[in-house]
Amino acid sequence: MEAPPVTVMPITSGTINMMEYLLQGSVLDLALESLLHRLRGLCDNMEPETFTDHELVYLLKGQQGNPFILRARRSLSHPTAPWHLRYLGQPEVGDKSRHALVRNCVDVAASHSLPDFLNEMGFRMDHEFVTSGHIFRKGAMKVVVCSVSRVLVPGNTENTERMSLSHLVELSVLAPAGQDTMSEDMRSFAEQLKPLIHLEKIDPSKQRH
Amino acid sequence: MSGGPAVRISIESSCEKQVQEVDFHGTETYVPPLSMSQNLTKLAQRIDFSQGSDSEEDGGEGEPGDREWGKQEEEEGTVKFQPSLWPWDSVRNNLRSALTEMCVLHDVLSVVKEKKYMALDPVSQDLTAGKTPQVFQLISKKKSLATAAQLLLKGAEKLSKSVAENQENRRQRDFNAELLRLRSQWKLRKVGDKILGDLSYRSAGSLFPHPGTFEVIKNTDIDLEKKVPEDYCPLDVQIPSDLEGSAYIKVSIQKQAPDIGDLGTVNLFRRPQKSKGGTQPWHVKLEAAQNVLLCKEIFAQLSREAVQIKSQIPHIVVKNQIISQPFPGLQLSISLCHSTGEKKSSRASPEKPKPDDHLYVLEHNLHQMMREFHKQQLSSVVMPHPASAPFGHKRLRLAGPMAYDKAEISNLQQSEGLLEKIIKQAKHIFLRSRTARTIDSLASRIEDPQIQAHWSNINDVFESSVKVLITSHGYEQICKSIQLQLNIGVEQIRVVHRDGRVITLSHQEQELQDFLLSQMSQHQVHAVQQLAKVMGWHVLSFSNHVGLGPVESIGNASAITVASPNGEYAISVRNGPESGCKVVVQFPRSQIKDLPKSDVVQDTKWNQLRGPHKEVNWSKMEGRNFVYKMELLMAALTPCP
Repeated sequence: MEAPPVTVMPITSGTINMMEYLLQGSVLDLALESLLHRLRGLCDNMEPETFTDHELVYLLKGQQGNPFILRARRSLSHPTAPWHLRYLGQPEVGDKSRHALVRNCVDVAASHSLPDFLNEMGFRMDHEFVTSGHIFRKGAMKVVVCSVSRVLVPGNTENTERMSLSHLVELSVLAPAGQDTMSEDMRSFAEQLKPLIHLEKIDPSKQRH
Repeated sequence: MSGGPAVRISIESSCEKQVQEVDFHGTETYVPPLSMSQNLTKLAQRIDFSQGSDSEEDGGEGEPGDREWGKQEEEEGTVKFQPSLWPWDSVRNNLRSALTEMCVLHDVLSVVKEKKYMALDPVSQDLTAGKTPQVFQLISKKKSLATAAQLLLKGAEKLSKSVAENQENRRQRDFNAELLRLRSQWKLRKVGDKILGDLSYRSAGSLFPHPGTFEVIKNTDIDLEKKVPEDYCPLDVQIPSDLEGSAYIKVSIQKQAPDIGDLGTVNLFRRPQKSKGGTQPWHVKLEAAQNVLLCKEIFAQLSREAVQIKSQIPHIVVKNQIISQPFPGLQLSISLCHSTGEKKSSRASPEKPKPDDHLYVLEHNLHQMMREFHKQQLSSVVMPHPASAPFGHKRLRLAGPMAYDKAEISNLQQSEGLLEKIIKQAKHIFLRSRTARTIDSLASRIEDPQIQAHWSNINDVFESSVKVLITSHGYEQICKSIQLQLNIGVEQIRVVHRDGRVITLSHQEQELQDFLLSQMSQHQVHAVQQLAKVMGWHVLSFSNHVGLGPVESIGNASAITVASPNGEYAISVRNGPESGCKVVVQFPRSQIKDLPKSDVVQDTKWNQLRGPHKEVNWSKMEGRNFVYKMELLMAALTPCP
């Protein structure tokens, strides 16, 4: 049997080379209801869905440089759904006038043995958290409104503690690189949410300092 | 009153004198009454000299009158303060001043009369008006009339304007009401100063790229003078020009291949537009446009599939027609008929008397399938779990973790297109109608045995079934041997025999016909078998497929031999689908006179053996059908007890 050809060059087409366009914001729990109400009106006419996810962030520390980070996520509300393994690249510096944060993104659906596999590979879990909230869709845009909770006992998702009294709101689109019209659409959508929430381009690397 | 005791009532005259003051003791001091002369003075003072009884000087003496009023007031004042004065003093004063005035007037008039020193000139307007000639009067009258008329006109204008405004307001209200009604049924949005609506099925899951927008127009500038037409509506809609008119999808099956020159020129004829009473004109318009849009979408989808799908005989897409060959020599044509205006309909009308070869079922199914496709599109979009996962088909996301192989993945992705489905349906419909025709033509052509078909009323789009019974007239109860269940599919017909045998026939018409013919010929032999049982005859041999005799082109001949109850006679029947039936009767040797002498069988006991066969001239037999004839024959050969 002929062995499949090994790809050495990065794949430049297909679903691999996708970019995530992201806008973030946060809303106080008091204003959550009105935001959800507004989103229900603006987004596609679908049944509003709630979710509860458990995310584990894995690090692979090499000899030098930054550690390699992978995020493994599973749905607590849908236990049979596959795990989701995600790699997020550094935000692109590029165009300052662009309205959204753009970063490389690789999405892989994985089986339930993903944590074991990552451990075997040498990844170590850095931290974990539980998010729960609502998910909306408008065309290709995904709006996630969720609260983030700290896992008190590692591995026990029952025992959690809210991080803050506000919800995280993320507006994201997955698109091939260079589709700046996407960020236009996102901006206009964010404009419509303006009085309730200000969705902005937040660079996580700058947040740390 | 009359019976009561007299009550004494003292009446006192009311005080005629005015009370000046009341003491603390309660005693009232009165004003002393006026004396006669005082009273006269008081009355004299009341005389109003300004109201002269002489009317001649009324106009001219207006001002002096005023002056006298002033004088009188003054005098009154003096009178009040000097009550001891002579009572007629004020009267005298007035008279004197009047005399003075009169003297002055007399002097002035006499001077004026001389015309030497003084002349009268019109000073005040009142005087001129009084003394202008008639022409001026007329002019001034005209002028005043004109101003009056102008005023009236202005008022009328204002009134009519307000009425119009009212009407306009009402129309505006009507427009708003209509807009509200429109809004409750159609998607609307405001872009700039326009109101745009959405005709497309995008919200229902359609992927057709046509924008499908219409514009809402305010139709309120209607001439107020003219009569408002009955179907007037303050709201009008403007639909895109390519969605105007009416459209439908025409599906038809033709036997012969048409000339290639005819392709793509399907005649467009308008269906009579049904206008339901009570619905708004814009609603009718929008529904028609939406129907055009859906037809276009169906056709676009079909043409795209027709080009993409690789089939043995390629589908042809020409202009507004898609041609496909489901079976050899058969042509399925799907065309989009879109008539945009009156012009085309008039042109196409002479061709209308052509036979209506619509396959309405398929047309309806096309619409239904398109909507199913829409629904599928809508329901296939599910929210990802976990939430960070990308949108997409859930099943495809399972493929990696569940380690699906290529076959499983292609299974997931494979979905039959609209065109494939409709071709399959067309094939089935065609096969079904041809089966029905074959059975009917056989039934009408062949009277004996009879063939009956019982069609099931409820069918699947790809499968229907018919029960075929072959019977003989008058013997339905005993001859139930052949009962066939024909399951008509898309490409083939499965025949389920009563005994459980399954035979698969292709779509070829001849196969079914041959099969039914052979079944009919078998039926006759089966009928003889059944009849023998009833008549008390014994079946000596029976074969569905005889290996002897002439070869039949269709199926095999079947044969049976039955013996009479006492065994003297035997009847042999051979029935072939093509060769027909041959009935032979075997007689006992004893009945045959001219039996050839044999050297072997000489003993009389051999007379009990059956003798030679004789063929029955079957067509000369009495009886209306085969089984009846057979019954008569059997009866004839059965000895009377």
